[in-house]
Amino acid sequence: MSADVLLLSALAGIAVLFSLGVLVSKDNFYSSLYMSGTLIFVAAVYALFNLQPVFVLIVFIFVGAIGIVTVALAATYRSEPVRQVSVFWAAPVALAAFIIGFSIYSYPIFNPPAASPGEIQFELMNFLSTTEYFLVVILLIALVILLLLSVLKMGIGGRS
Amino acid sequence: MAALDVASISVLYAASFAILFVGYLTAISSKDVIRLLISLEMMFGAVFMALIPLFSVAAHTAFGIAVITIFASSGELLILISAIVILDRQKKDIHTAVITIGGDQV
Repeated sequence: MSADVLLLSALAGIAVLFSLGVLVSKDNFYSSLYMSGTLIFVAAVYALFNLQPVFVLIVFIFVGAIGIVTVALAATYRSEPVRQVSVFWAAPVALAAFIIGFSIYSYPIFNPPAASPGEIQFELMNFLSTTEYFLVVILLIALVILLLLSVLKMGIGGRS
Repeated sequence: MAALDVASISVLYAASFAILFVGYLTAISSKDVIRLLISLEMMFGAVFMALIPLFSVAAHTAFGIAVITIFASSGELLILISAIVILDRQKKDIHTAVITIGGDQV
């Protein structure tokens, strides 16, 4: 196993551990902090593959904007939710996980290995020089601004 | 830069499935809408992780999909945050039990 795969496994493993922290924690505030940690490590996997634009988008928009609002909301409404999942679901869940894991493990045995996907070759400037993609980005930014304005109007209308 | 071989793709998909699964578990065990919001964000994180292998096949298309997904999911979460604030204003409660019929009665 190469060092890249080990590093990727470590990052993905920490992301999964943080996500388990969301489930285990009973306080909404700590759950939101664990959720932010999970998303940061998901973004770090992008950085590992030299996809820095996606890393910046996830960290700035998802963690920086939406995540912080979520943390603020969770800090405002700190409550301990009552669990409504029965422990009897653990057996079928474990069985399903075993079947899926065995299917993934046995897939290369019954199927010949496919060609290796190779390295990721992505340049942001090549992406932005494509007019259609640039128009899509402009359109999305305009839509988000309209969404923000409508949310603002909704909030002002609800207050009055 | 790390190369994307079969082992890396397996790790990515396994981690993505695990985070999605934990997100589902958190969603079905949540009793208030804040926890529901947190679980939704985690599910989107799992989707972002599952998108990485597409970059090795069609990098520009994958980046376009990633940008659209990030903007769309952020807008969706923004609407949910607004809905939480309005729910709290109207019902003075954020527990999912106060939502009687879907989201129509909010």
